[in-house]
Amino acid sequence: TAGDKISRSGACRVSLSMAEIRAGFTAVKANIQSRDPIRTLSILSHPHSLHKVKSSDRCCLTHHLFTFYVDKVFKQCRTKDSFVNRKISSIANSFLSARRKLGQCGEQNNCVCGEESTEKFKQILANYEGLNVTSAAMKSLGELDILLDWME
Amino acid sequence: GDAFLPAPQSILILSTNMKRFLTWSPVFVQGATVRYSAEFQAKYERAYANGRWIPISECSFTTATMCNIRDDISDTVAYRLRVRAELGATRSLWGTMKGFFDRITTSLTPPLLRVLAEGHHLLVELADMGPAFKFRLLYWKKEQQNNVQQKVMREVSSVVHLDSMEAGAEYCVKAQTHVEAINRSSSFSLTQCVRAQGDTSMSL
Repeated sequence: TAGDKISRSGACRVSLSMAEIRAGFTAVKANIQSRDPIRTLSILSHPHSLHKVKSSDRCCLTHHLFTFYVDKVFKQCRTKDSFVNRKISSIANSFLSARRKLGQCGEQNNCVCGEESTEKFKQILANYEGLNVTSAAMKSLGELDILLDWME
Repeated sequence: GDAFLPAPQSILILSTNMKRFLTWSPVFVQGATVRYSAEFQAKYERAYANGRWIPISECSFTTATMCNIRDDISDTVAYRLRVRAELGATRSLWGTMKGFFDRITTSLTPPLLRVLAEGHHLLVELADMGPAFKFRLLYWKKEQQNNVQQKVMREVSSVVHLDSMEAGAEYCVKAQTHVEAINRSSSFSLTQCVRAQGDTSMSL
């Protein structure tokens, strides 16, 4: 909807309903973050922020992160709250759609996985696997704005 | 024993200008008020969440046979919808919409446009259609059909100044909408022409 952004990831430009994703996340952010008791740890920003990643590595890392959220995070974030579940579904389907577009573009523009993005993604997985799966998923979902800020 | 409750039929989504209404045919039970509940399932749920269905609270326990499902359907993925009837503790089977719904199929109508001449100023008023919409306006001097100007706008909160007009000349305008999220445009509105104030007659 309004604010359909073109997210530039290296050579790839993916049209993403960023405003919709942000609106959906903002509507449930407090609820999701209240389910994350471990405030001292970060999945996406430990030890280094996403912003330190070179632009040439953005495309690959973005695709990795879409896959991470689609394959691992969203499915573990089911709650008893129908409103929260609906918003998570909306975000999950937007990510699924975006990953497909980025995947198509990546094939044509060889979305190269440099050492840095590979290392960074390994660190994110290590942070994730260092917690029990539900806590890790809720924390990752609660950090979605970190990812959205980086993508924008 | 519990009365048998048939599943709702004719389940459709009516979608115009990115608004989406789920509709179904009523289930009649003599002397009773039947209620309905609806759920959706999108591509993610089918592929990654064991085909989970998600309740739509605006369409839960309603006596209506239509409900607005605008918020739930995001992005351009395929959605399935289902509805069941409820009477007390009795539940019908789910009636499932045939096929899928993707918001890219919404029908887009031309914008409501009003063209005004205020002195030498060519002004337009457009009805607001929501944040998803941009407007593309084409305008030209009537006698110069091939010199068409364009203006693209998103915010349409008030009257918009398009151009300054030559005294006594006639100018024409038409408009269409564009929705970035689905990358589609409506057809153009009817053309409207207005004449600028001032005399064009030549005294010889």
